[in-house]
Parts: sequence; C-alpha cells; structure tokens
Amino acid sequence: MTEPQGVLKPDPVIEPGHDYGSITEKIASIVDTGRQPKFWWVGFGIGFALMQLFLVSAVWLLWEGVGVWGINNPVGWGFAIINLVWWIGIGHAGTLISAILLLLRQDWRTSINRFAEAMTLFAVACAGMFPLLHMGRPWFFYWLIPYPNTFGMWPQFRSPLVWDVFAISTYATASALFWFIGLIPDLATLRDRATNRTGKFVYGLLSMGWRGSAVHWYRYEVAYLLLAGLATPLVVSVHTVVSFDFAIGIIPGWHATIFPPYFVAGAIYAGFAMVLTLAIPIRWMYGLHDFITARHLRNMAKVMLATGLIVAYGYSMEAFMAWYSGATYETAMIEHRLFGSFAHIFWALIAVNVVIPQVLWFPQVRRSTAALFCVAMVVNVGMWLERYLIVVTSLSKDFLPSSWGEYAATRWDWATYIGTIGLFLTLMFLFLRVLPLISIFEMRTLVPGGAGKKGGDDE
Amino acid sequence: MNAADPVRFGALKQRALLVGLAALALSLVGWFLDPQQFYQSWLVGFLYWIAFPLGAFGFVCLHNMTGGAWGFVIRRILESAAGTTPLMALLFLPVVLGLHDLYEWADEAHVAADALLQHKAPFLNVPFFLTRAAIYFAIWILFTQLIVRWSGQQDEGNEPRPNLTRRIQLLSGAGLPIYAMTVSFATIDWGMTLEPHWFSTIYGMLFVVGQGLTTLAFSIILLSKLSEREPLAGVVKTGHFHDLGNLSLAFVMLWAYMSFSQYLIIWSGNLPEEISWYLNRSAGGWEFFAPVLIAFHFALSFLLLLARRRKQAPSALMRIAVWILVLRFVDIFWLIAPAFSPGEFQLHWMDITAPLAIGGLWLAFFFHRLGSWPLLPANDPRIDEALKAHEVHA
Repeated sequence: MTEPQGVLKPDPVIEPGHDYGSITEKIASIVDTGRQPKFWWVGFGIGFALMQLFLVSAVWLLWEGVGVWGINNPVGWGFAIINLVWWIGIGHAGTLISAILLLLRQDWRTSINRFAEAMTLFAVACAGMFPLLHMGRPWFFYWLIPYPNTFGMWPQFRSPLVWDVFAISTYATASALFWFIGLIPDLATLRDRATNRTGKFVYGLLSMGWRGSAVHWYRYEVAYLLLAGLATPLVVSVHTVVSFDFAIGIIPGWHATIFPPYFVAGAIYAGFAMVLTLAIPIRWMYGLHDFITARHLRNMAKVMLATGLIVAYGYSMEAFMAWYSGATYETAMIEHRLFGSFAHIFWALIAVNVVIPQVLWFPQVRRSTAALFCVAMVVNVGMWLERYLIVVTSLSKDFLPSSWGEYAATRWDWATYIGTIGLFLTLMFLFLRVLPLISIFEMRTLVPGGAGKKGGDDE
Repeated sequence: MNAADPVRFGALKQRALLVGLAALALSLVGWFLDPQQFYQSWLVGFLYWIAFPLGAFGFVCLHNMTGGAWGFVIRRILESAAGTTPLMALLFLPVVLGLHDLYEWADEAHVAADALLQHKAPFLNVPFFLTRAAIYFAIWILFTQLIVRWSGQQDEGNEPRPNLTRRIQLLSGAGLPIYAMTVSFATIDWGMTLEPHWFSTIYGMLFVVGQGLTTLAFSIILLSKLSEREPLAGVVKTGHFHDLGNLSLAFVMLWAYMSFSQYLIIWSGNLPEEISWYLNRSAGGWEFFAPVLIAFHFALSFLLLLARRRKQAPSALMRIAVWILVLRFVDIFWLIAPAFSPGEFQLHWMDITAPLAIGGLWLAFFFHRLGSWPLLPANDPRIDEALKAHEVHA
C-alpha cells in the first residue's frame, strides 16, 4: 500500500545521527572558525554596497528636504509609510515563531527561531528609519515622546500615530530582550570555545557569567517563558496599531473595521515569506539540511497559505462591503482601485498575493525548496504592493475632486527603499558571522533521549 | 466495559427533548399571540445555537489539519455536534416563514421608498436570500456528514488507514476556508441585514470567533463530565484541560480584540451610516449590555482563565465554561435584538422559550449522535503519540 507522505509519522525536526557534540560543532563552528563561505562574502558585499546607497540617499534627503521624494499634496505618505508598514510586518514572523509557537509547544520552531528573531530586530530597525526620515527633521523625534518640558509640547493622544511610537518602541525593546536572553546560554558556549582574547572577552561579557548551573537553568526557563507570554500580545498589538493609523480616520479605503485582524494576518504572511526567503539560502550556504529540515519549510509554507487566505478574505470583504454599503465615496474608491489609474497595481496584487500562493496547496510545491523560494519572493513583492495600494490610492483621490492628485515615486524613493534592504542584509550577514544562527542548546534538547525529548520518533 | 463501545446518553437525551418540546409548545402559543415577537426571539435563539454545530465544524477541520492532543479527546464531541447541521436547517424554517416580519428589505413598499435599499436590492431580495441560505446549509451538511462518516469508517478494523486519514485531512483543508466564508456571509445575511443601512467588514469574523469560543466552552463542559468515567477516564489528563483552557483564553481575547476594534474604528469615524448601530445599542436600557460584556465576557473570563491552577482543574474550568456560554447568549442578544427595538430595551418571555426550544431539540439530537459511536476515535495514526506526549506534560 502506498502511504501518503507524513500521515503515519511526521518527518523529524532534526535528522538522525546527531549528538550534543556534533550539534555544537556544526553550529558554533560557523562563528568561531573565522572562515566564511564565499557566498557570505558575496551576500555581505551586496548588502554593504546597498547600505551605502541608503546613507547617500539619507544624506541627500536631509540636505535637500523631503521634497526629493515623490510625496506631494494630497499623497503625503508615499513610500515612507509603505515601507514602514512593509518592514514592520516582516518582523512579525520572528515574534510569532519565538513566542507563540513556544507557548504552543511546537518543537519545530527551535531551529528557526534565532535567525527569525534577528530578522525581526533588523526589520524593525529598517522600519524605524522611514518615519524618522519622513519627519524631515529627525533630530526632533523626541517631540513625539510625552515628557515634561518647558515649551508646552504634548503629543496628541487621540492620534494613532502617537500610539505607534509606543507600540513600535515597546516591540523593539521586547524583541531585543527576548532575543538576548535566548542567546545567553549559547554565548557562554562561544565563550568557552573561544581561542583568542577578544572572543573570550566579548562573549564572556555578553554571557553575563552563565555557568549552566541548575539554578541558572531554572531562572532562565522561567524568565524565557514569562517573556514569551509578554511578547505574545505584541504580535497582535503592533500591527493593529499600524492598521489604526489608517482605519481610525475616515478616508475611504482606510476606514474599515476588518483592518486590524487583516493587517495582523498580512504581517505574519509577509514575515513567513521573509523567513523562507532567508532560511532557504542560509540552509544551503552552510549545509544545515539536518537542522532546518523539509518539515520546517513545509510548516512555514502552511502558515503562509493560511495567513494568505485570511488576507484574501480581507480583500473580498472590503470589496463586497464597499459595494454593499452604497456609500458614494467607498464605491468610488473601490472602482478607482479596480479600474482607475492604479488598476494595474491592484490586479498585480491579486495575482501575486492571492492567486499564485494557492500553489502551496500542493505537497509537491511545499517539498520543493526552489518553488518555495519563488513563492516567498512573490509574496514579499505582493505584500509591498498591498501597502502601496492602500497608502497611495486612498490618499490620491478622497472626497473632493479638486484635491485629487497622482503619485509617482522618485529615484530617491527607490534608493532609500533599496538602501534599507542593504541595511537589512548587512545586519543579517554580520549576525551570521558573530552569533550562532541556530539555538545550540535548544537543538540539543531535540536529540533522541535528550533532556527535553517527549516521546521520540527514533526510540 | 470495552473502550470501543458507545456510551448511551438516554436520560440526558430524554430530558433535553422534554425541555425542548415544552419550550417549543410554549413558543408556538406565543406565535399565535404575537408572531413578530416569535420570529425575533427565534432568530436570536437560532443564531446562538447554530454556533454549536458550526463552531464544531470549524474546530474539527482545524484539528484534522494540525493534530494536537486537545483535539483527540474532544473530537467525538466536535464531530457529533457538527453532524447536527441537518437539524439546524430544519430549525431555520421559522426564519424563512418570518422573513417579512424580520427584515425590512424584504418589504417591497419599504424598499421602494429607500434609495439605499434599492441599491442593495440585487443582493438583498427574498429569492437570492433563500438561495444563499440553501447553499450555506447544503455546504455545511455535505462537509459535516462526510467528515463524520469518514471518521466513523476510520474506526473500523485495527489498522491505521493512511489513505482515509489523508482524505479527511484534504476535506478539512478545503473545509476551513469554506467554513470561514460561509459563516461570514450567513451572519451578514441573517444578522447584519436586520439593520440594512449599516455595514461593518469585521462582522463575519466576529461571529466566527464567537462560534469558536462557544464550541470550546461546550466541549469543556462535556469533557469534564465524560472524563469522570470510562472510556475517557484514563485517557483525559489535566494537560488536556489546560490546553483547552488556554485555547479558550485565546478566543476570549480574540473576541474582545475584534469587538473593541470595531467599536474604536466606528466611534472615532463617527459617520452617520456606521454609528447608528452603536447609538441603537446605547440608550433605553441597551447601554448596560456593553459594560456587562466588557466586565464579564472579557475581563472576568480573562482573569479566571489566566490561572494555571483553574485551567487544570476540570470542575473549575467547567464552571468558567458555563459562565462563558451564558455570556455568549448575552452577546448574541445584544448584537441582534436591538435591531428590533432600537434604543429601547425589551425582554419578552419568548426570548427565553425560543432559545430553550432550539437548545433542547439540538441537545437531544446531539446526545443521540454522541451516543451512537465510540467516544474516542481509533486508528488515527497520530493519536497514540499525541496522547502519550501529554503524559509527560501532565
């Protein structure tokens, strides 16, 4: 009898034949041998070059003013907000993997959580660049923070833009803490393995005196679980607040009650697409097929499929209600999106974000790394188009035809955007170089007969 | 007793049937006295009780896709509940009969005087409404009956049947998005169009989440009772209750999140076509419902479900679940009933008897189905590992 794959027995989360020593050696040696494969140099080189582009465009923006971008009246948000939402969304997968999947006891999270969390941090860093630069005078950013001052400034607490300041800074802080705490036992491993003085000193400092005693482990587990509990609401809250930036106002196309859950689903969708975009090359680059197995890729593909369907649900509800409402401006907005000057973006969005990802229903696609990588790239593009459509179409045509306007991005818009991709890649490759990209000590618990093993596959 | 033997629920079935028939008789008397009130009360009861089979349908699909020990111990409860969809189609008939009393868009004279309703007429007209309802029920009945049948076939013999399991998974995979879509549009049809000018894109999802919570609470109540005796006595562990408690906590939070999001967005926009829905619910006695829901449906349930101690104690968790089911009714009543008497709170005796009638009949049919097969599914390839994993945790 032919057995459909994975029904009787799920694939392992770690290939057989590994013990504590081989796991440590495999992961830690990426960091402490000092040699990187040549793909690392290629990737880092591209990222670093693009980062220079970011620096140049940021300097030019500060020199000339935000007019170098394509923003205008009425489209005052443009690329800055599109990219902010895009990057923030990408970050969500890291928190979901690290916090929610931990609480749900999904052991397949173990080998992807570390670099997914790193991805979150770097994505939030990139996201933060945009509202800062969009201010035009970023050195006054602290005016957004409520603090007693002598010039009578106080933020408008009814504005979701102020909520954003809190949501995103909380998110960045919590993600960084969670990531760092998760790193401590591994930092100690690197400290113990370090052969030179710098390594011993830096990793020694960062591992905060970890000795691996029972008390250390006990406190560590408690702290990690509590942080996971605290980080869980952040998965939902951050993008909800971002969706409020749009939905709290009454601009047609923005003012929709479905926005909060639909934004959160979109964020997770985009985030998992980015994790796959990173995981597939990293796995290949360092030969980590034993740790990031077919099962990991398949599960991520399934999460993408599910969240993608929620996003599609959001689109269809929006379109249906725009008609059903019979409200003049809502109807005009959806017609504008479907058939107006941005119609090509709308239909491209439907193709890449709704239609193409449906191939993930097929097991053959979920098994093929090349196909998965392509779908993930398509979704990365799709989620960017979605934000473009939301930001630009609604602003360009609101209530009064006399205040309508078109929008076109300038080359500096593109340079800033591509530049942040460079910043992201640079940070990511530096992370691969100096920190273990997979949690060593958590991987050890997956070894059959290991400390954390619950009824193994190979026993 | 053999674990594979079904447990009969004769006494429970009889009692539920008795209550249901008595309440139905009373409601029918009410129908002669005040047909309009009867239809209104019936619709509230119907929308409350349909959450039981439909939420179960959604959860069965979810469980078949994801596995997980929490699902195996309540799977027969879910499947039996989902299997009752044909009865719900029957209980929908009074809504069909009362269409003209319930929905102003079904009244042609009314529509003729209202430009907005004319715009919506291609969607909001009697034949299309009935066609849609027929489609929803056809889909629900088809999916649930197939899932129940295949799950029963899986029990036969002593060997895992991977092909059958795979088939159930495929059906569930298709079932989940179809569930979300049909429930959304069904609740838009049956609930939202009571106030035909108003619209909210999150409305369908609000009901999907509400159904999930209802089903979880119902499953917890049954499981806590069933776990006291064979065949589940040795199988169900505190860990299972803990998981179900956590899921309930998540759904309580989701419900609050969606309800609050809808309120915040509509309140801040303050547009005439949207805010009317809340204005209808904030005067004449209705204004007490929202604070009650915030304080009890969300805050208290949330706090009670936070403590691990309570989630692991079946009796404590069961009391919370009963509490949640009561508040689910308050929520549904608040969502639906103000459409009939905007800005003026009214509670008719049929608001009690009609839901009791539907509930009694539904429970009787549910226990009949639950008693017709073993309480623990057999031969699922994943079940042994799932149940074993929990022994370590518990």
